[in-house]
Amino acid sequence: MTRSAPLLLSAPAVALLGGFVLAPLVLLVRVSLCEPAAGRGFYTPDTFTLQNYARLFDPHHRSIVAFTVGFALAVAAVSLLVGYPLALFIRGRADRWQPLAVGLVLIPKTAGTLAAVFGLQRLLPRGLVSAALTEAYLIVPYAVLVLVVQLRAIDPTLTAAARGLGASRWQAFRRVTLPLSWPGVILAGELGLAWGIGAMAGPLFLGGPAEMTLAVEVQRQAFEYGRWPQAAADAVALAVLALLALAAARLRRSP
Amino acid sequence: MPATGTNSPTAGTAPSSAADGVRLAGVSFAYGPAAVVRDLSLAVPADAFCALLGPSGCGKTTLLKMIAGELVPQAGRVSVNGRDVTATPPEARNIGTVYQSYALFPHLTAWKNVAFGLEVRGVPKATVAERVEALLHRVRLTRDEWHRRPAQLSGGQQQRVAVARALAFGPDLLLLDEPLANLDRQLREEMRVELRRVHAESGTTTILVTHDQEEALAAADLIGVMYAGRLLQLGPPREVYDRPRTPFVARFLGDANLLPDGTMIRPEAIPVGGPRQGTVTRVTFHGGFQAVEFDADGQPLKLHTSTQQRWTVGDPIRFVLPESAVWAIPEADPTP
Repeated sequence: MTRSAPLLLSAPAVALLGGFVLAPLVLLVRVSLCEPAAGRGFYTPDTFTLQNYARLFDPHHRSIVAFTVGFALAVAAVSLLVGYPLALFIRGRADRWQPLAVGLVLIPKTAGTLAAVFGLQRLLPRGLVSAALTEAYLIVPYAVLVLVVQLRAIDPTLTAAARGLGASRWQAFRRVTLPLSWPGVILAGELGLAWGIGAMAGPLFLGGPAEMTLAVEVQRQAFEYGRWPQAAADAVALAVLALLALAAARLRRSP
Repeated sequence: MPATGTNSPTAGTAPSSAADGVRLAGVSFAYGPAAVVRDLSLAVPADAFCALLGPSGCGKTTLLKMIAGELVPQAGRVSVNGRDVTATPPEARNIGTVYQSYALFPHLTAWKNVAFGLEVRGVPKATVAERVEALLHRVRLTRDEWHRRPAQLSGGQQQRVAVARALAFGPDLLLLDEPLANLDRQLREEMRVELRRVHAESGTTTILVTHDQEEALAAADLIGVMYAGRLLQLGPPREVYDRPRTPFVARFLGDANLLPDGTMIRPEAIPVGGPRQGTVTRVTFHGGFQAVEFDADGQPLKLHTSTQQRWTVGDPIRFVLPESAVWAIPEADPTP
């Protein structure tokens, strides 16, 4: 193998990320700094303004950002509260059943997001709880996957040792299993947060008028009001918010 | 004091009441159709250091798990210091275990590992600190090692932490599951002495499980030999070594010449020189001694002798089988 082999091997990923993530992102930032279109088109080219960003701090946007963060926290919390016990249960089964159990948890993902959302729409009334549950429903399989992998990495002798030293089941969980599975909890929590911050389908299709997340606002600015530069600025804010959430989750130390 | 009865051996080194120590009565365990421990009875007196010795797969670890409470026997009773603990959950048994892998909590420091058993019992902080530090001193861990995590400690240091952790809460019984298996030879011998010292100082009844006969003979004052889920013999090391009850016990505890008439003699009990003659078939140098295998009228024999004299294959060798060193093995091995 030559020196350039690793470079060549990463070329497809670089091309994919560069072409479909980085380039649109640059364009997005540029558009967010433009004046809105005066007539036809999406925006007025060759203009420069910060007004779209200034508007992020008006009361309307502030309440949307606050709601988005709260909503994402709720989604992450629900996905952990449902996912962790489920992962513990799966970890407790015999080795040969665990892949099957994880497979069963992942099966709903084969339906695709829209099919799942429209299905849930028929079952749940519109409202905040339904919107949050829908998003949690979509993320729980990933949380379970992450947590089962993390729990399986814990040597079962450690829990046996804890019990032998006098710890009740709960104490063994609290003092050994939980701290040792904490990296998985953080990772699953980050997934839930990032997912919840970008949530659109749940709030849009199962939420009421009050369930307005930043992603729904992006969609409204672009498609309902035709204010593409404002939508772009909102989208940039969304990305920044997601990054902040991930950084914040990393700061939390193990219990 | 020789043990009596195939399935109910008892032996004593220290005077103790029948209720003291560990008692297993007719204990059985099977994984599905495979019987691992069969109707096994055992009594270890309080304060004794007992080694359960057997090849891998003989059921010794399963036996240990039943004593610790990780497994519940399908038949029989387990009692510790007169208390029937057959169905007691592990956390209520007050038994300390040192695992082969040590099973130290990787996210806790050595100090916190040792404190674990005290903290879950709700012992006041000051008492915990006092006990933990006394134990860390006893297993000779230096102060700067106290606050390291297991990954930052050597194998020997981890083993000391594991022993301290198992003793911290004042257990009625200390179980050692092949605790020396992961150490190199020199450290193993050092730790063996250490374990004896810790046992002598704490006075805790100790059961050591091992497949290493040298370790069992040197460490314990009581040896139980297991085979195919049964306890074949229980007694002081010298007695089990000199007067094995079955051919398996004779062979498992070291080299043995098993003679066709059902008797046994140890290679080191055969002196060179004497009325009988054989022909050397193989010589193995062991450093401190040499093992000379020879053929005496069609009977292969082996003796251990000093390395002074040189033998080569084909040499004639004179020897004698001293009457006093020949032991008539009283029982046959049980069928597995």
